[in-house]
Amino acid sequence: MPTKTEIEVKKNGNPFGSHRVIEPKGVLTQPATKVDNNMDYMWDNEILVEVETLNIDSASFTQLKKEANNDEEKIKAAIVKIVGEKGKMQNPVTGSGGMFRGKVLKIGPALKGKVAIKEGDKIASLVSLSLTPLKIEKVLGIKKGTEQVSVVAKAILFESGIYAKLPSDMSETLALAVLDVAGAPAQTAKLVRPGNTVVIIGAAGKSGVLCAYEARRRAGVTGKIIGITSSDSGLEKMKEYGFCHENLKLSATDALSCYEAISKLTNGKLADVIINCVNIPNTEMASILMCRDGGIVYFFTMATSFTKAALGAEGVGKDVDMIIGNGYAKDHAEITLNILRESKQIRDIYTKLYA
Amino acid sequence: MGNKTAPTVKAGGNPFGAHRVLLPKGGLPQPAVKVDNCMDYIYDNEILVDVDTLNIDSASFTQIKGEAGGDHEKIKNSILAIVAERGKMQNPVTGSGGMFIGRVAKVGPALAGKTDLKPGDKIASLVSLSLTPLKIDSIIGIKKGTEQVNVKAKAILFESGIYARIPADMPEKLALAILDVAGAPAQTAKLVRPNQVVVIIGAAGKSGLLCAYEARKIAGVAGIVVGLEYSKEAVKKVEEFGFCHKVIQANATDALDCYGKLMKATGGKLADVVINCVNIPNTEMASILMCKHEGLVYFFSMATSFTKAALGAEGAGKDITMLVGNGYTRHHADTTLNILRESPVIRAAYKKMYA
Repeated sequence: MPTKTEIEVKKNGNPFGSHRVIEPKGVLTQPATKVDNNMDYMWDNEILVEVETLNIDSASFTQLKKEANNDEEKIKAAIVKIVGEKGKMQNPVTGSGGMFRGKVLKIGPALKGKVAIKEGDKIASLVSLSLTPLKIEKVLGIKKGTEQVSVVAKAILFESGIYAKLPSDMSETLALAVLDVAGAPAQTAKLVRPGNTVVIIGAAGKSGVLCAYEARRRAGVTGKIIGITSSDSGLEKMKEYGFCHENLKLSATDALSCYEAISKLTNGKLADVIINCVNIPNTEMASILMCRDGGIVYFFTMATSFTKAALGAEGVGKDVDMIIGNGYAKDHAEITLNILRESKQIRDIYTKLYA
Repeated sequence: MGNKTAPTVKAGGNPFGAHRVLLPKGGLPQPAVKVDNCMDYIYDNEILVDVDTLNIDSASFTQIKGEAGGDHEKIKNSILAIVAERGKMQNPVTGSGGMFIGRVAKVGPALAGKTDLKPGDKIASLVSLSLTPLKIDSIIGIKKGTEQVNVKAKAILFESGIYARIPADMPEKLALAILDVAGAPAQTAKLVRPNQVVVIIGAAGKSGLLCAYEARKIAGVAGIVVGLEYSKEAVKKVEEFGFCHKVIQANATDALDCYGKLMKATGGKLADVVINCVNIPNTEMASILMCKHEGLVYFFSMATSFTKAALGAEGAGKDITMLVGNGYTRHHADTTLNILRESPVIRAAYKKMYA
């Protein structure tokens, strides 16, 4: 794809990208079965990117790998086939996508002045590949032991699409690892107030550790951060990190034990804010019971059941605000990358575990 | 039952009723397979009620009726069998319960000063029968065409249980109809601020109508309440009620159409608050797109998918707060019953449609 022919620019693109939907007509790009991945033209509110790496979503990659019996050539062929058929890398079995890294090739004229990137910048997409038009020329290889696929390809970012400029002061893998969970600490920063008692469920995990760090800073000297983990190794990690005032080993599926422990620690006052970062089912009730009346429960975990949360709170007569974890918050990438700059400790943890 | 021996009083009850759980040990009463429904004793933080009516949850009643081929005697027998086996009226197929109406028989001494209920008060339970210990002496009959079962029975309300006193100034049926959706308008009252643009999805429905009324009152003279409905008849109803400044006819599963119509109606401003009251799937995206940046979406609909909401907002790059509809808020029964007193329009509409 190194051709230098000028590409045609079209007008009146929809901010969410629905102008690229081919089938079924009238839906958005994520539920679409086929999107237009023709890169000979672009709309004036799109960003065209030369893609170097695809980070296939973990659920999707596991499925592809299994079906291919771990044969790298077969995995490559499956990826090319999916993108050839759908115009995007959305696994038809899992429905999930992933993200990409690349270099900005062209910014649509309608976006000039509206975006903080320029042509030539290295970026990571923070919207899913499951809605991103992609055209693969060649799959170069799969990095061993990872879900990273090196490609020669092009992709389109829509006007509503989110992305992060990759920083020059840290390695790309480190930046990507932390960007993957960027929504959680940014939301924590918005929710926690000085003096709050905050419970972080899963405080030793990838997103939990960032939330604990951010909560500690926002709650200040009069605040109290309580970390919960279910394993001995998690407990050891939390104590070593030192972001939580109290470190508890509890199963978040055991609502009553969690309630009793927090009730005891807070003299019956319970917590102002609960941040749930564990990806296992049936932790709604523990989150609700540990929260005081009028408090906030933030469900960052994708294993949350809407009805279990809604009916659970009603069943115990709890007037709490339950928030659905939104992977996006304004400037979330900047806020989260900055944690790595501020805290040598987090940088070390992330370098060791995820990068 | 019917004997006048006073029940013995035990101490040490758990506020959520875990002390009545028999199987499996250590859980809460809702997921329990069997709870202790012995009414010869009560714990000092319980309320004992003489029940005269069970309002079986609609999904449960339909299932039981279907299995019984519509035969009243068979329906009665299966209700008796379920309660005898589980100690609560929780349909083993649907998992759902319902509510009850009765008169307070005894208030546990530990609740003195914490509740204003006294023996003889007529109340409706606002927690589900699926977690409420119940002992049925006899079933008197099923009211034709309803899910109301007249019984001679006793039930226990736990300390965390919620209930409403049936007011003397309105018919029981009218009060029950509105209490069923009491959470929605009470939450609306908490979320809406003066001068805001508020969208109510399903503004002609049972809960939407109340939300529109409450939103209009709080948004004030400079606020704009927009009602969204699917059918022509429902749009006409919204216009007749007169609580919405504008009415949009659109299908809430068509996100782009809803977005386009609201953009036009608000001059591109979109909504500060979106309240979703329609019980159909796939309306998450329309709710998200109609909300402006840093706005708020309230999902009162039980058909909401947690992951569709979470990934949808991220996919569209929307920094909005999404709340899980909590059926309970402090004083929600009083707030909502009061709407019937304030508004002759709503009282007439409810009488006609639901009572």
